Amino acid sequence: MLGNPATCESLLSPDFVRAAARSRLRRGRLRALLVNTGTAIALTGLLAIPLFLLGSLLPWTGFPATIWHRFDMLLAGTLRAAACAVLVAVPLGIATAMFTAHFCAPRLRAWIKPALEILEAVPTVVLGLIAAATLAPWLKTHVATVLALIVAVPAVLLAAGFAFGSRVRGEGWLPLWLLPLLIAGAAVGVAIAAHRPSAAIVPASPWNAMLVGLALGLAALPLVFSIAEDALFLVPRVQTQAAFALGATRWQALTSVLLPAAGSGLVAAALLGLSRCLGETMIVLMASGNTPIAGFDPLVGLRSISADLALGMPETAPTSEAYRSLLLAALALLVLTVLLGSIADFVRERLRRRLHADGHA
Amino acid sequence: MTRRRADEAGTWVLAGAVALCLAAMLGLLGLLAGAGFAPLWPATISELHLHDGSTLLGEIVAVYDGAEALRISETDRIGGAYRRVPTADIAAQWQPADAIVLTLTDGRRLFGRGHAAEESTLLASASRPAEVLDIVRPNALGTFARFGVFARNLGRFFGTRPAASNLDGGVLPALIGTLTLVLVMSVIVMPLGIATAVYLHQRRGLGVRFVRGAINMLAGVPSIVYGVLGLGLFVHGLGADIDRWFYADRLPMPTFGSGGLLWAALTLALLTLPVVVVSVEEGLARIPVSLPEGSLALGATRDETLWHLLLPAARPALLTGLILAIARAAGAVAPLMLVGVVKLAPALPIDGSFPYLHPSRQFMHLGFVVYDAALASSDAIRGVSRAYACAALLVGVVIALNLSAILLRNRLRDRYRALET
Repeated sequence: MLGNPATCESLLSPDFVRAAARSRLRRGRLRALLVNTGTAIALTGLLAIPLFLLGSLLPWTGFPATIWHRFDMLLAGTLRAAACAVLVAVPLGIATAMFTAHFCAPRLRAWIKPALEILEAVPTVVLGLIAAATLAPWLKTHVATVLALIVAVPAVLLAAGFAFGSRVRGEGWLPLWLLPLLIAGAAVGVAIAAHRPSAAIVPASPWNAMLVGLALGLAALPLVFSIAEDALFLVPRVQTQAAFALGATRWQALTSVLLPAAGSGLVAAALLGLSRCLGETMIVLMASGNTPIAGFDPLVGLRSISADLALGMPETAPTSEAYRSLLLAALALLVLTVLLGSIADFVRERLRRRLHADGHA
Repeated sequence: MTRRRADEAGTWVLAGAVALCLAAMLGLLGLLAGAGFAPLWPATISELHLHDGSTLLGEIVAVYDGAEALRISETDRIGGAYRRVPTADIAAQWQPADAIVLTLTDGRRLFGRGHAAEESTLLASASRPAEVLDIVRPNALGTFARFGVFARNLGRFFGTRPAASNLDGGVLPALIGTLTLVLVMSVIVMPLGIATAVYLHQRRGLGVRFVRGAINMLAGVPSIVYGVLGLGLFVHGLGADIDRWFYADRLPMPTFGSGGLLWAALTLALLTLPVVVVSVEEGLARIPVSLPEGSLALGATRDETLWHLLLPAARPALLTGLILAIARAAGAVAPLMLVGVVKLAPALPIDGSFPYLHPSRQFMHLGFVVYDAALASSDAIRGVSRAYACAALLVGVVIALNLSAILLRNRLRDRYRALET
């Protein structure tokens, strides 16, 4: 005898309900198991990095002095390259972030952010190629030109702003007006310098820390920008609006409200930029000449820890002393970057909590 | 008033920084597009008449101050026929319309002038004979014909194997190597990344804080350190063990004990794991709470809500994570140098013979071709222009991936905004 199909009697039988519930439970357990297993594997893989490095170095005590000496050279090279890059990336990135977060027209901002995201996506091997093949021969004779441009461009901009600034309406679109002027100005400067090749500053090697700094700075720029911009944009609007209500100009609102409120975020951006520069490999490998030289001269070549790893690791036998010293270098890189990253994370987290509390108060 | 003007001046400096960033980006893309496609265009052939009465026929490859670099007929070997001609020695210079370029299969190029009959005498002049691949009269080409040659060169660039130790020919193996590597990496990283993101989304407490801390910390670790792990743990550790257990008959020839596709894919999977986790978790968190609440109210368990509602709803976020991971992986060259990328691989990692995918094989990679051609080739001028061509291809792929991720993210945002109202 069939039950009434409309009431679905068979579906309501206690056995069926129990079986269905059991199978649902079992399926749920299975999937939870899958999720836990996946997480465990992922975590094991990630933690394998520090554990592997520590595990293979701990049983090995007493590094010979020659290894330490070489390690010092590599560390000096890494720091010199990173310092040059930070000098490019941090001022440029933070200035761009300040403009984008505070002065920029919203429609322009919607274009600048993806543009810099795309710059971030450019593989570093490509930046290394441009630095080594195109920029290096040019920079060999034009170090003085670059230094002159670094001084001249901001000076000209300051003067122009002082002279015409109050007459220009719509400063939110200013970068687009300045873009062709800047390109034209730089082209004229380069053309003048090309006619009179100056021997004022001649680098010891075409591949030097300054070249690395320019390319590496460009690579780290988008990271510095995005973190600094996030920090500045996180400051509640009511604070800047209060400043405007008290009669502050936009610039005054920036320096007296926005920068004090988001200052630690800018520090975090600089730290993360430095961390990125310390570990970057391909640019340094291609543009630094790979000669271990100590010292602080930005116009001589260098060899960084990361480039040393990339060049030395595949050719070293896994039981040799040189291999262990390379592992030591990798561990140093890991510790440095994790340390910088943790400080930056801590600073950003505190900033976020404080600004969040302010926004609700 | 002065105070106000000083403020404006400060604003102008900041705007100048923005303009400089934009200029740098545009300049970078312009340089890549220009220098990347230049090697594929038919080159103009010049004839130089020197003051000492001799003539030189060839392609001008570089102009220095006071000298020109000329590539003349490579009768002997590729890259062996460059001449540096001081500008002071040149009496006259012109582009003869009847110039012929013979491209040989080993990458060499022979230059000549004259009618069709000249081609065979030109070929006979080569001290080392080879098959003729292509005959072009570049100076006589019209605009459309130039595009035709460009298209043919482009097809050859994509579709053939490299010749002359990677100085000429196509990049097919590098392209296939890159794609296979990224594919295998995606298959490894996506389940792990999704599982971790779901774990972080569902649970609370100490475990979550630990996992999140580990991911945050290791997201900033340089890629070369991942490469060191891949070499030390995967290749020298796991790989050597696998060889000892399963391929003992082939030792001392390593099978998995040397760098290969599998180890490279695993290394890249670890490298891109944080990207996937962050993206998926953000996607899960962005789903309006009303959706899972409705599902729970209808009697679904938490687990059923997750599998039948949250994960399907977060599909665009999964895709965004995958795309960003692929973009990151396609650009990471440094770790690959330690775990199995080679200048010239004898065989592709994926082919028609069983088991089709060969996880222990070494492979070629576009990014590594850029590095190798730029710095380690025997013919620096050809090498650099080839590196630029590969770089333009790589950047094109990576930018296309990133743009699609950005578009997807925007669409996702719009979709949930519609759900919330």
